[in-house]
Amino acid sequence: MRRRDLLRASSATLMTLGASGAGVLRGAWPAWLGLVDRTASPWLLLPMDDGQSDHLKAYGVTFRVLQRGGRAEWFLNHRGGSFLVPGDQATIRDAALAGVSSEPVSEGLLIDLRAQLKQGNTDAVPLEKPPKVAVYAPPNASPWDDAVTMVLNYAGIEFDKVWDAEVGSQGLKKYDWLHLHHEDFTGQYSKFFLNYSGAPWLAEMVKQNQRVAKALGYPNVPAEKKAVANEIRAFVERGGFLFAMCTATETLDLALAATGVDIAAAYADGTPIDPEAARKLDWSHALAFRDAQLELSPNVPAFSDIDGHQVNSLDRRQPLGAFKLFNFSATIDPVPTMLVQNHRDVIPDFYGLTTSFNKRTLKSSVTILADEPGAPWAKYIHGELGQGTWTFYGGHDPEDPQHQIGDPPTDLSLHPHSPGYRLILNNVLFPAAKKRELKT
Amino acid sequence: MMSSTRWRVPFPVPRSLLPLLTVLVPALLSAQDPLSRAFDLERRGSFAQAAEIYRGVLQKEPGEVTALLGLERSLTPINRLPELLPVVRAAIVANPSAAPVYSIGLRAYAAANLLDSLPHLVDLWARAAPGDESPFREWAASALQRRDRPMARRAYQMGRERLGKPDALAAELAQLATAEEDWPAAAHEWVGAVRQLQGYRSSATTALAMAPAAARPVILASLAMEGGPDAARIGVDLRARWGDPVGAFETLLGILPKPLPQQLDVLQAFLELTRLQSSPTYLLAQARTLEALADRWTNPPQRARFRLDAARAYATAGQPDPARRVLGQIAADPASGPAVAAGATTTLIELLVGDGKADEAAGQLEKYRSTVAVDDYLRLRRAVALRWAQSGAVARAEQMLQSDSTIEALAVRGRIRLYAGDLKGASDCWREAGPFAGTREEATDRSIWLALLQPIQPDTLVSFGLALQLLDRGDTLKAAQSFERIAAGLPPTGGGADLHLLAGRLQAAAGQVAEAERLFRTAVVKEMPGTAAAALLELGRLQLATERRAEATRTLEEMILDYPTSALVPQARRLLDQSRNAVPRI
Repeated sequence: MRRRDLLRASSATLMTLGASGAGVLRGAWPAWLGLVDRTASPWLLLPMDDGQSDHLKAYGVTFRVLQRGGRAEWFLNHRGGSFLVPGDQATIRDAALAGVSSEPVSEGLLIDLRAQLKQGNTDAVPLEKPPKVAVYAPPNASPWDDAVTMVLNYAGIEFDKVWDAEVGSQGLKKYDWLHLHHEDFTGQYSKFFLNYSGAPWLAEMVKQNQRVAKALGYPNVPAEKKAVANEIRAFVERGGFLFAMCTATETLDLALAATGVDIAAAYADGTPIDPEAARKLDWSHALAFRDAQLELSPNVPAFSDIDGHQVNSLDRRQPLGAFKLFNFSATIDPVPTMLVQNHRDVIPDFYGLTTSFNKRTLKSSVTILADEPGAPWAKYIHGELGQGTWTFYGGHDPEDPQHQIGDPPTDLSLHPHSPGYRLILNNVLFPAAKKRELKT
Repeated sequence: MMSSTRWRVPFPVPRSLLPLLTVLVPALLSAQDPLSRAFDLERRGSFAQAAEIYRGVLQKEPGEVTALLGLERSLTPINRLPELLPVVRAAIVANPSAAPVYSIGLRAYAAANLLDSLPHLVDLWARAAPGDESPFREWAASALQRRDRPMARRAYQMGRERLGKPDALAAELAQLATAEEDWPAAAHEWVGAVRQLQGYRSSATTALAMAPAAARPVILASLAMEGGPDAARIGVDLRARWGDPVGAFETLLGILPKPLPQQLDVLQAFLELTRLQSSPTYLLAQARTLEALADRWTNPPQRARFRLDAARAYATAGQPDPARRVLGQIAADPASGPAVAAGATTTLIELLVGDGKADEAAGQLEKYRSTVAVDDYLRLRRAVALRWAQSGAVARAEQMLQSDSTIEALAVRGRIRLYAGDLKGASDCWREAGPFAGTREEATDRSIWLALLQPIQPDTLVSFGLALQLLDRGDTLKAAQSFERIAAGLPPTGGGADLHLLAGRLQAAAGQVAEAERLFRTAVVKEMPGTAAAALLELGRLQLATERRAEATRTLEEMILDYPTSALVPQARRLLDQSRNAVPRI
């Protein structure tokens, strides 16, 4: 027998003997469990600082723990907003497949951690039931066109798609969390005709919207979108969680404020914008904004002066900077604290049809979660309505700052540490926080 | 704080005149040309003050163009451009032939949203400047700034009617049609633009080339309907960009202009298009264009150069017969020159080696040894030796390289030893040759084979050498079957698993999916974790490529969980993301 064969055979025997001596037959355990000493780690910590190999998927692992009926905790302001999850086989397997870094935590270590969390601006928030997630988008919308659907797919968080028919027939009652992105709730197709008139996809979008408006019994698309906006408002009031980005933020509030007022151009509803529209808007019905100046010209690619950056106006467009997350008290303000959890404080900005929110137009009840220092606009805002909450995040795609229609989709496996995308996932997970935490 | 600057007077001034100077100098300064003063104020950002000065000038001289331009510049940043209207009207009356006045007027009327007045203003301008396209162009430009494409089109069409020229403003209309993706109209207008000015051809090609694939036949059909050499040239350029360079070349030959210098220009411009890609089709088009240039070129050394490049392009495109034909032409041309002749010889020998004619190649090599550079001679000799060895003449191949002590020769000897089934000899040669012999790809290839040979116990395995010969001769399927037979005779940990993996990869490359899958599964042996992980990754990749996502997911999960420390896990995770639709598949 050759020497190497003897060594090979001997080591296999030794391994078997050693394992049985320890009371654990190592050869019987799957290889991935061997990486974690199960007997001493009933818990796992998913660090969310620079030691994490995939920040975005870590949210997915945590979400699935809750889906399986398990318990988790969110350690606010501790190592970038880390998660404590059970060290069971299913979670270890999930984390291994996802490539999410985890650290074993014994009961003793956990006691130390809790003591640490009581000092400084940190806290532990229990996470209970995962929210039922819905994304508002037309049936033929590609998942690669919406930052939220992209990150939900990447993190492996399930969601349903809903559109006007479902919203109109009380379909939102089934869901806890709703996302809006591109939709122009003023019914003007985001004024895309100004740059893309003649494009087949725009013609198809117009036809599709008109079909649906007619089927639902509305005289035109702007009227139908206003009704949808009001249903969404009711959803939030009843206790729903709303997360909106891009055009949806500004246009939702414009539609809500414009009950009985024509703010849509003639190409959308056959009649020109009411020249007195700005005076007649009722901002008490809106979620976030007030006293904004409506853009009355259909030829100007903007909706109002809510948006600070005005990306499509050649003469008003503002350059991109960076926005800074605010620091909140984890114990006094757990909700905003959850929403700003990140391993970076300063994040490069990114355009969208609505990129940012002029502070002058914000209601006093709005909480600013992030803004550009020195600039008159906020980037990320939050508020409450009735039993529910809403969050608005300006811009289209945190990892595609100058996105144009037709650009290739963002591949999030190339951006697993994206701080901009983490803010989206904070919003997905925070509704799972124990109820007392949400009532601040 | 007072400035410490001292004003120096260049000549002595009597004290008595000093009071006079203190009055005169400011007066002189204030009498500075008002336009200069206004310009200074503009530069300092005092736009309102500058505007007042310009207004003052225009009150005295209503048609003063510089003042009018200055007033426009000053009113724009302070959003008061509509105030320009009465001034513009007065300027038109005072200076009806000045084009800038109308141009400014167009912008002012547009800013004041008096869009219905624009046609009248344009009409006035057109009367003042008959035959000039500018009034309509500027009107359209101001409409496009407001994104009002229908008005822009109206402006261009009105211009065309007024000017009475069917191709007037064709370039502008072409750009408008392109923006609206009206491809037949775009093709028609671009042809018109090129007819007026040949310089538009590259803009036309660039604009039309951006059309989506579905629109391309429509564009080519529209160009064919237009007829004429301009439309045909645009069609040729587009076909070259859209993946049909050979077809484009055929068409081009039929529409070359008569004068020889123009023919050469056209062919050289087309040659640049063929260099857009390096696929066989483009190389073939390149070769034919080079030949066409050579046939027309009068200077003999350059003619030979074109032919040599053509021969190389033919050879790289996998077309040995035309390559040989062209090389023959070089050889027959006594004015070719020594450098070109040497190049032709090396290309010919490479062709012969590629064709498997090692004996003929060796003969040519010795015949032209003195004309070929030393490095090329040694390289070609190694290529000939390798070709002999691939066909089984191992001893002959080794004899040829006996006197070559370079590391490249050592690397080739290693391959030859492997063809002979001498696994130990091959490994020794390659280890000696090191990582710097040949190109990086060749070094990587040697590393892969060395890793494959390492666990195989026997020092000699003739069947291995024969299988490798099959592979290098291009018979992938037979090579895969041979490697599988060898693998069956080896223990899994003694090279069997690795050879099953290799055979699987070869079957997959040959499109034999079921065979490849069977072999990958056979290669998954727990005692060979590195090979097992690689085999599972290949299996998952194959399942994903054949749209069996659920199976691919299971396979890749198994790989990641069972072999978590494998260096291939990141690749497996990426494929897993694709199989779960978590990332776009590009």
